Amino acid sequence: MQLGFDWATIIRQVFSPQGTFVFSLVVLGAGIILGYLVWRSSRRFMRELGVPEAVEGTPFERTARGLGTSTVGIVSNLAALFIYITTVTAVLNIAQLTDPELYWARFTSFLPDLFIALFAVIIGLIAGDKAKLVVSERLRSVKMPEATVLPELVKYSIFYLAVLIALGQLGVETLALLILLAAYAFGLVFVCGLALKDILQAGAAGIYLLLTEPYSIGDEIVIGDQSGIVQEVDILVTRIESDGEEYIIPNKRVFNAGIVRMRD
Amino acid sequence: MNELRDLLGDLVADVDSVFLFSPNASFFEEFDEVDEEIVVVGPENALDADPFVELPIDFTDLEGRLRFGIEGALEQGIVDEGDEVLCVTQMFDGAENTLVRVQTNDFSPSGVYDMFVNSRADASVVRDVFEVAIELGKKGQKGKPVGALFVVGDAGKVMNKSRPLSYNPFEKSHVHVGDPIVNVMLKEFSRLDGAFVISDAGKIVSAYRYLEPSAEGVDIPKGLGARHMAAGAVTRDTMATAIVLSESDGLVRAFKGGELVLEIDPEEY
Repeated sequence: MQLGFDWATIIRQVFSPQGTFVFSLVVLGAGIILGYLVWRSSRRFMRELGVPEAVEGTPFERTARGLGTSTVGIVSNLAALFIYITTVTAVLNIAQLTDPELYWARFTSFLPDLFIALFAVIIGLIAGDKAKLVVSERLRSVKMPEATVLPELVKYSIFYLAVLIALGQLGVETLALLILLAAYAFGLVFVCGLALKDILQAGAAGIYLLLTEPYSIGDEIVIGDQSGIVQEVDILVTRIESDGEEYIIPNKRVFNAGIVRMRD
Repeated sequence: MNELRDLLGDLVADVDSVFLFSPNASFFEEFDEVDEEIVVVGPENALDADPFVELPIDFTDLEGRLRFGIEGALEQGIVDEGDEVLCVTQMFDGAENTLVRVQTNDFSPSGVYDMFVNSRADASVVRDVFEVAIELGKKGQKGKPVGALFVVGDAGKVMNKSRPLSYNPFEKSHVHVGDPIVNVMLKEFSRLDGAFVISDAGKIVSAYRYLEPSAEGVDIPKGLGARHMAAGAVTRDTMATAIVLSESDGLVRAFKGGELVLEIDPEEY
């Protein structure tokens, strides 16, 4: 960096102010052309090395394809971007349009943030896709059109989180988005709690019944209005049967109504 | 050569449907343009074929396999009684090498398909118990042949028609057939006398049960012992299926509704 300052100062001393400006324009043009050449040659170079075949099928490549590009495209774009940024900083330095000290200080402190943000986005993309795969794998046996929405929902929730983290890193005001996230999470918990209330209660009762076994298969019991022989106790329901009628009773009801065991 | 062709032609002429037993994908596709109805029979429907009959266990003997396939198709209404059916299957190892032509009412239904699909217990539970019994029959207990009696399904009623011989080792445990540890456990417990009782969902309810159904009017082949008699009787009194491993001849037999429905030799699996 010290070297950079030196040659920028030397150039300013050699040329007149107008000359310096023209020179910096020339450097800018050369940088743009160089960036383009690097972009093209790196693409061709990676193609010839067989990089596209090598990364075929990896999650990152798949994510990149999903975005309409490829790993090769992303890498070559990053290389070109690096050249552009270097050129622009060099030009600004030469022309001294900004206060160099302040500029460099800001730039160096900003760079890690940018890196982390990029990283967060890439990880988010990969994690989102993976989570979608896992969820859809779990739901494979459920052959309902509604079930396909869930994996997508999970995927985009994770994307949203990743973008939120990235924007937070870059110092963008994310309060509004954060509130949206909170509302979304609250809604999710609330709806789930409401919808699954009975199931959760039955499950809690079922765990108690399975652990302590106040009645077991073969016992004759009365629960509320139903009486019969216990055929099956699982975590959500108890099945009792009498005279060819099988009652499937939620374990929550077993708790509310109490159990009468017939001992004779 | 012509005579041989004629023989084959006669065999396949005018059949109503063709049963393919566990075909691979390319073999199945060759039958795309056949006019007769194609029925696929196999352990799983990997080809998404329709109609399909699921084989619960991998029958190695030809008759058992054909019987199950045809009875399954009859139950599902895929073929009618009296239809001529051509079965394409494999014997020994290798590709399809066997053609069998059967008329569906040529044999009296044994109820094998009915036992797996229409029993109270889940078909997978019945299958798991079969596998345990077959495994036990193959290896025995420390090399010695063992006998065992499993009563599957309708556990509440079975428990009421039996009494404990000793403390129930499975009390307050939640062990299901099909759990990996179970084979070892059942093998150890098989030296106990009495029956295992298994619920509809596959929970092992009890061991050491002495079954006391009334054996009146139970018709099982002569020469089978007390264990088989108890199995036949308990299935007549309840909706359960009983699976018995014979100590004397090593065969696995299944009873339902008081009748012997299936007999297989563990050594063949």
